[in-house]
Order: sequence, then C-alpha cells, then structure tokens
Amino acid sequence: MNLANWARYGLAATLATAAGGVLMIRRPTHANHDAAPARSARHARRFGDYRVTGATVSIRATPEQILDCWQSDPQLWRDLEYLPIPEGNQPDLLLPSAELRAMASRPLLIRIVTRREGELIAWASEGDDHADMHGRMRLHDNGAKGIAVEVIMAVRPRDFASTLKTEAMMAEALKLGILRDLRRMKMLIETGEIATARMRPDAA
Amino acid sequence: MRAATFQGKGHIEVRQMPDPKIVNPRDAIVEVTSTAICGSDLHLYDGVIPGVEKDDILGHEFMGRVVDVGRESTLTIGQRVVVPFTIFCGQCFQCADQRYSACDNSCPVENQQVAEKAFGYPLAGMFGYSHLTGGYAGGQAELVRVPYSDVIPQIVPDDIPDDRLLFLSDILPTGWMAALNAEIEPGDTIAVWGCGPVGLFSILSAFHQGAGRVIAIDGVPGRLAMAEGLGAEPVNFHETDILDGLMQMTGGVGPDAVIDAIGMESHGFSIDNIADRIKQTVGMGQDRAHVLRQAILACRKGGRVSVPGVYGGKADLFPLGALMQKGLQLRTGQTHVRRYTEELLDMIERDVIDPSFLISHRLPLDDAARGYRNFRDHQDDWIKVVMQP
Ligand SMILES: NC(=O)c1ccc[n+]([C@@H]2O[C@H](COP(=O)([O-])OP(=O)(O)OC[C@H]3O[C@@H](n4cnc5c(N)ncnc54)[C@H](O)[C@@H]3O)[C@@H](O)[C@H]2O)c1
Ligand SMILES: [Zn+2]
Ligand SMILES: [Zn+2]
Repeated sequence: MNLANWARYGLAATLATAAGGVLMIRRPTHANHDAAPARSARHARRFGDYRVTGATVSIRATPEQILDCWQSDPQLWRDLEYLPIPEGNQPDLLLPSAELRAMASRPLLIRIVTRREGELIAWASEGDDHADMHGRMRLHDNGAKGIAVEVIMAVRPRDFASTLKTEAMMAEALKLGILRDLRRMKMLIETGEIATARMRPDAA
Repeated sequence: MRAATFQGKGHIEVRQMPDPKIVNPRDAIVEVTSTAICGSDLHLYDGVIPGVEKDDILGHEFMGRVVDVGRESTLTIGQRVVVPFTIFCGQCFQCADQRYSACDNSCPVENQQVAEKAFGYPLAGMFGYSHLTGGYAGGQAELVRVPYSDVIPQIVPDDIPDDRLLFLSDILPTGWMAALNAEIEPGDTIAVWGCGPVGLFSILSAFHQGAGRVIAIDGVPGRLAMAEGLGAEPVNFHETDILDGLMQMTGGVGPDAVIDAIGMESHGFSIDNIADRIKQTVGMGQDRAHVLRQAILACRKGGRVSVPGVYGGKADLFPLGALMQKGLQLRTGQTHVRRYTEELLDMIERDVIDPSFLISHRLPLDDAARGYRNFRDHQDDWIKVVMQP
C-alpha cells in the first residue's frame, strides 16, 4: 500500500474502529500520560496530511432517536452547516451540506464505510479528483447526561482551505460548525425545536 | 408595537418595532400588562455588559396575557402569566435538575460563542439581556415572544393585581435564592450588602428562612429606611467602617453568612473601587468588585457567601486567600426563577408576602427613558419602577 493509499484507507479504518484517543500514534516507550482525545492536542491537530477537527455533545435520547433525527429530520438538515447528512434514498452515501460543498475546492462525494448499529457511522470521500475528507460519528453512553455524540472530521487542507480561508481558519470554521450542528441536533431532539431569538418567522 | 430600545450607553428610546409572531411550536405571544426596570438593566444602560446592540428591546421582568400560542404550547389565549426572566427548555440535563439558568438548549447557537469564550460554556437564554444570553427581545414592550411556553410561564390567578405578582418574574425569587444560598440556620446573623430591590427581598427572605438578625448595608438613607422597615439593622457605609462595624455588631464573631446584592457597579470611594472604576471606564476591567471583597473579609470563619449581584468579568484583587483560609462557601448564579415561583406565589396568595411595597413609581412605557435615568440617579426615592405599555 503506498503512502497516499495508506493515509486514505488507514485513516478511514482508524476513524471507524478506534475509541477515545484514537488519532494519536501511541509510543509506549515514552508514554504520554494524557487521556484526552487526540483532536484536542495543543500542537498538531493532524493525522498524516489531514487536519483533524471535531466536537462532542450529550443528548438525552436513545441512540436510535439520535441517528433517526440526523438521517431523517428535514428541519435539522435545513440548519446544518458542516455535518454531512445520511440521506435515506441512497443508503451508502452522505450528502455534504451546502456550506461544506462551498468550502471544498473540488467536488465532494462521501461514502459510508462503516456502520455499527446504534454506535458508529464512519465515512470517507471518493475519487482521486475529488475533495478528500474522512469522518465519523460515534455514540456512547454518558450516564445521566445522555448519549455522548462525537463527530470527528479529517480533511485534506489543500481541498478545503483557499486563498481566502487559510488552513487554520478552515479548521476553526469546521470545528465550530460541527459543534453548532451537534448542538442544533441536541436542541431538536431534546426540545423539539431549534432555539432562535427571531421575533418572526420571516425575520433575518 | 412600542418597545423600550437600547440606542447606546445611557440612551433608551421607546420606538415602534415589528410585532412578534409565533416562530417555534412551543412559543406563545404575551401582551404585556406590567413590566419593571431591574438593577440588572442598569448594567446594560451603563454599558458595562457587552453584547447589547442598537435597537435591542430591553426588559426581563414582565407579565401579561397570552394572545397567541404555537401548536405545542400548553397555554390558552387569555391566560394570565408571569414570565420568569431565565429562558429554559425544561428537557435538558440541567433543566431536569431545575438548574434552569444553566439550560443547555435555550441560547441560539449563533449567539453562543462570546460567552463560551469568556466563561467556558455558553449561557442560557434570557429575555432582553444582551446577545451573550441569546439576543432575545425583552419585556419592556407591548408584546413579547415567549419560547418554551409550556414550561416557562407561571400561570397566575385573575384576582390578584399585577403589582403583587410582577416580581415573581425575577427579583422576588432572586432574593429568595440568595437567602437559600446563604444556607441560613435558625437564629443566624446575616449581612446583606445593597438595599436595592434584590437586597430588600434578600432581607425579607432571610427572615422567612429563619435568620435571627439581618444587618443591611447601603449608602442611601431612603433605602436603608426600607430595610429597617423589614426588621433589618441598617448600616450606612458612608458613615461606618463596615468591617469594624460588623465585628462590633456581632460580638467579634462576624456574620454567619453574607449576601452581595450589589454586583459589578459598587459605589463608594475606597481605593480598590476607584481603581476598578477607572479600569471599567477605560475598558480594562468589567467588575467593580469592592463589595464582594469586603463581604468575604467580613464573613465569619466557616461562613457562607451568597452572591446574587451580577458580575461579568475577571475581578482582580479577589481575596482568594480569605476565602480559602477561612473555609468559606461561595454560592452564586443567575436565578433559577421558575424553581421558586409556585412556592412564592402560594405565599403571596396566602398574604404571607406582599412584594408590592417595593414599588415607588408607576410610569407609562413611553416614559422608559425617564424611568431608567431616575432609577439610576435618584436611588433615594426611586426604589422600583413599574411601567404599563
Ligand atoms: N442573580 C440574579 O439572577 C439577579 C437578578 C436580578 C438582579 N441581580 C443583580 O442584583 C444586583 C442588585 O440589583 P437591584 O435591582 O437591587 O439594583 P440597584 O442598583 O437598585 O441596587 C443596588 C444597591 O446597592 C447599593 N450600593 C452600591 N454600592 C454599595 C456599597 N459599596 N456598599 C453598600 N451598598 C452599595 C446602592 O446604593 C443600591 O441601593 C444587581 O447587580 C443586579 O444585576 C441579579
Ligand atoms: Zn432583573
Ligand atoms: Zn434546558
């Protein structure tokens, strides 16, 4: 497997299988006593050529309700910024949101590579002439706080950063966007609506 | 509709604004019958809380009648409600434990970032209280959109006048929670800084919760007289060295619990307060924390510190050593208003409490600018302003 292929499939596999501090390559000889997830690392939020971002929320609902909202609630879809959507009609594809498509400098086709019922959906982009991204949503029990929903996205900066948006800005926008998307999902599932301060349906 | 709007520091104007409509299914629209100006509004008025924009509608103490409901609202048109100022969803992990002012879901995601950067997490929504708390339009208006109307409003009986009910929206529960946070044991001596509406209701609540003595500290004679009327022992900080005075009044022990009902705009000419004022004026600091410092020093060893007064920044010269070395407990927060409204309404209905004694001025909403100015500048007789739209 050449390096590019390793980066591509190896990353997808890592995102799909590992838990917690997955993305850090562990070196048992000088152990880093740090249980925080790798995407919170101070220095390189990177994996190979990829820039890694992500966010976590806890939602008081069952894993089925959470996945169901993500897969089938048009009200959520309307507001999502960067989280791709698993659309029912094409069971193995994810639809990139409009913002994500606009951020990518090349076309983006995302395929689900792993699905573990009620626990994990991992995805990877397709095509060498396409923008390159990988990601996963993982659900795990967080006791009285609900189900922790964690999304990690790894993107190849050259396909998403631009002259207008530097790599750091791109990564920041993605990170914030994913967090906001997850919080919208939490609102919708827990309260039945997405909070807004608008005074009228037609107001900006 | 007409509404009191923020036009800049020290500049309130009643303007014509678009009527609110139902946006989300749990919304209701309330036609305001009474609304008050709060000490917290003065922090906005004085420009010491960031995130207020031109044309923002102010006001978080209001009550009225339901005039429209969303399909998931449980209210009915015509119902009379008092609306707590903290906006909460009722379903998140925080709300499940009645920590309503810590609700995870009520601040729109677009408005979460500044508070998250400043405080580590986004805040809950509040009516009319800057974009840090969601950017929701407030209640100093003819009409208000009330989200989560199936859980937030307190339904109130028709036969009790507004004046006795309005303060359930904020300051009565705030005084009540301030006293609860002081964990009063029967017979305790409690010192309360500030005889504004929040301080006065803290005094009232402290007695209801078993305090033996309450010492009330302020610099405004008219307000000290009201505290005395509630049974407190008044101390004027212009005339008394507070630490010395409290020591003598408590037989050298110190108060069992202290309540800071003043917050970030402390008055007075102590050195720390002058320094804070300069920092606040030039934008280098947000809080004038003189009273909190003094209260922590005055509190007896192993005592409790309750802080209903609002702070927003990173006060310096904070007496962390006194807090730690004396083993004090510190409790604070925006009030979880709705947690207390049933109990307090019951006390109002049974005539145990009549909060209307606080009202010093009634104005039409159109006079909001005058109300704000006088409530800030003439504290001796402008104790609490209630406006009718
Ligand atoms: N925690 C909450 O949810 C909540 C709710 C409502 C109000 N508040 C806050 O409570 C505080 C008081 O509100 P209010 O409506 O009573 O305000 P207010 O401005 O009417 O009263 C403040 C009082 O403090 C007195 N004071 C100022 N400096 C003093 C000093 N150095 N020593 C003694 N007294 C001093 C003033 O003379 C005045 O009487 C404000 O900070 C307000 O924002 C908090
Ligand atoms: Zn208030
Ligand atoms: Zn909530």
